[in-house]
Amino acid sequence: MASEQIALTLLMGALLVGVVAFITRVEDWRSYTPLAGGGGGTAEESGYAQDEKPGGLVRWLTTVDHKDIGMLYGTYAIVTFTVGGAMVMIMRTELLDPAATLISAQLYNGLLTSHGITMLFLFGTPIIAAFANYFVPLIIGADDMAFPRVNAIAFWLLPPGAVLIWAGFFVPGLAPAQTGWTMYAPLSVGVGAGTQGGAGVDLMLLGLHLTGVSATMGAINFIATIFIERAEDCTWANLDIFSWTILTQSGLILFAFPLLGSALVMLLLDRNFGTAFFAVEGGSPLLWQHLFWFFGHPEVYILFLPPAGLISLILPKFSGRKLFGFKFVVYSTLAIGVLSFGVWAHHMFSTGIDPRIRASFMAVSLAIAIPSAVKVFNWITTMWSGRVRLTAPMLFCIGTISNFIIGGITGVFLAAIPVDLVLHDTYYVVGHFHYIVMGVLGFMTFAGLYYWFPIFTGKMYQRTLAKWHFWLTFVGTQFTFFAMLLLGYLGMPRRYATYDFPIGPVDPVTALHQVATLGAFLIAIGFVIHIWNFIQSWSEGPVLDDEDPWDLKEINQYTREWRWHSRRLETTIADGSGEEDSDGEGERDLATDGGQDTDESDDSENVESTDS
Amino acid sequence: MDEQPGLSEQYRRVSAWPLFIALGLPIAEIGVLFGLVPIAIGGLLLFVGSIAGIVQESGYVERPWNLLAGLGGALVVLGAALALSQLPGFSPGAVLAALGSNGLVVRGVSIVVAGVIALGVGGAARFVEQEPI
Ligand code: HEM
Ligand SMILES: [Cu+2]
Repeated sequence: MASEQIALTLLMGALLVGVVAFITRVEDWRSYTPLAGGGGGTAEESGYAQDEKPGGLVRWLTTVDHKDIGMLYGTYAIVTFTVGGAMVMIMRTELLDPAATLISAQLYNGLLTSHGITMLFLFGTPIIAAFANYFVPLIIGADDMAFPRVNAIAFWLLPPGAVLIWAGFFVPGLAPAQTGWTMYAPLSVGVGAGTQGGAGVDLMLLGLHLTGVSATMGAINFIATIFIERAEDCTWANLDIFSWTILTQSGLILFAFPLLGSALVMLLLDRNFGTAFFAVEGGSPLLWQHLFWFFGHPEVYILFLPPAGLISLILPKFSGRKLFGFKFVVYSTLAIGVLSFGVWAHHMFSTGIDPRIRASFMAVSLAIAIPSAVKVFNWITTMWSGRVRLTAPMLFCIGTISNFIIGGITGVFLAAIPVDLVLHDTYYVVGHFHYIVMGVLGFMTFAGLYYWFPIFTGKMYQRTLAKWHFWLTFVGTQFTFFAMLLLGYLGMPRRYATYDFPIGPVDPVTALHQVATLGAFLIAIGFVIHIWNFIQSWSEGPVLDDEDPWDLKEINQYTREWRWHSRRLETTIADGSGEEDSDGEGERDLATDGGQDTDESDDSENVESTDS
Repeated sequence: MDEQPGLSEQYRRVSAWPLFIALGLPIAEIGVLFGLVPIAIGGLLLFVGSIAGIVQESGYVERPWNLLAGLGGALVVLGAALALSQLPGFSPGAVLAALGSNGLVVRGVSIVVAGVIALGVGGAARFVEQEPI
């Protein structure tokens, strides 16, 4: 015990000394002019201006540039997606046959919990932050995020978060949490006969807490950036659709995540310090469900709205037309944002809450289908009679729309109390939300990565491989998640490592599980192709000096981030450096896609201009 | 492909502090939650030290020391409140006795110790550094 303490003390001391050494090195290396006479250290003359980045690793560790941080978020999210995907491949393989043949039920539960948390908190929110960090400042014409350092802090909280969340798997003596991503009490409180008392669960909760802090800091930053850092010619009227969804999403995060943080602290106190927030004789386990879902339902829209914004952004580029009904897409985004705080108890229909309360939650949940449908119809009408070009990003957009239709409609069924009482806690629910988290968020991640690949890398990806990626992912997604919907109808409960209920001679349950596993493998193969394509095209592809790889100028949709890209190309070619002139933008048109247009020559292709 | 056009020159493109704030917070949380005294103290020091550093670097304050001392003071108050909430009244003997038996007192005291160190470093540096640098 004593020697342990000494060891820890030495370790911490060494760490602190190391930090001080590192800081002095970095600060030294920076050639900043000291404050004049030590006085008058106001911000504008502090002499910390710095226009050259350090090289190598130090650059990435110390950057506060929004594009660098966007790249960091993106890399992080791809890594976590790979980890979460590997976890689920083990699970799907286990489910090929009814018995627990490959892994134990305990490990299955641990993987299940980590898969959910990894995908939602370590992949979902960060990948959205990646796109938003890189592009929102470019699109709205801001110098950088409003608080560049806070931006960096928000990112750097994530790697420790991941380590803590996964700690149960690799730290000797700890067991991974088996609580499910919803962490329902009393199981998650770990008292009594429960099996979840270990420190692995505590570490997971701490990690989750960190990612929550990170998301909140990011959200504040985006709100401030979009409100106060816009360029003069970027008004509310022509603010682009992606920034609108990021703004709405950040608002949701601001109200939802601090609540999750507090609930997690309460849970930790229950677990470690004997409070009774979620004890039967205290605040009751149902309190956890209310707090969790008051966060949890907005969270699903936190993950849905920005990808929806990406569809609204990318789809018109390959339809040759502007987004149909721009205003209504914005209104529906805001409506969903507000409504999403009024539906949480649809996750609790079967808990025995007051039927009158239940009915009102059913009504609001059904109402949320309306703005969702508005989006779908606007996307379809955008493509209608347009000049559709089936590039990889466009394919992913169209695939997303089809997935969202299935995901959304199954959601409407679940929102109906009588249907939900039958389908709750079955694979139907799993199928429903995966059509959205994989079918929308996953798909739009790929769409965004392909669409902006030339900006990220200055290269072009390999188109054939990208098409393979799309078709494998699309077919795989239908196999996996439609099979889950059917499994749900057959009564297969979710979150089980084993199953054994043959129905008749063909045993449809086993067969459907095998179809789902097959689909998962198709998705995995597609993902491997994607990663290969990405890395190989980036490192070995020919340099792309086309400033308009998607021919956006023709359709008058050459938006601001591409103009920035083009200026960057010009200056690198001109003087071979990354240095650039301050603003080549001049008095070009202000139109973002669908935003109020200042340029009349727009939409020449489509005589019967449908939008307004 | 680095710089962004129109970037005003007073933006710094690097800062060493965010990484350490993001390291300090989880280390401090783990230390306090599990009652690991050295980890709690080290983590808290890293956390408040980095905050003082980043605030100074952003130009909100001239030197970091007052802020460091202030944050240390806040930790002392917080930790003391936690520890004293577990004790009938304050006396060094009672605290020492409770250290062996009451985990919350251990945590409170470790927060106080971190606070005292921050307070001490901040205060000392403030006076040592009389001459403007
Ligand atoms: C058309 C709008 C939607 C409606 C009416 C709806 C309705 C529902 C309902 C009633 C449930 C509870 C099912 C049960 O546990 O018995 C549910 C579960 C779920 N929904 Fe939706 N949903 C909608 C859209 C979405 C979206 C956009 C997402 C996005 C990412 C989503 C993600 C989820 C998740 C993750 C769960 C499962 C939570 C869990 O128990 O683990 N839903 N949905
Ligand atoms: Cu919901």
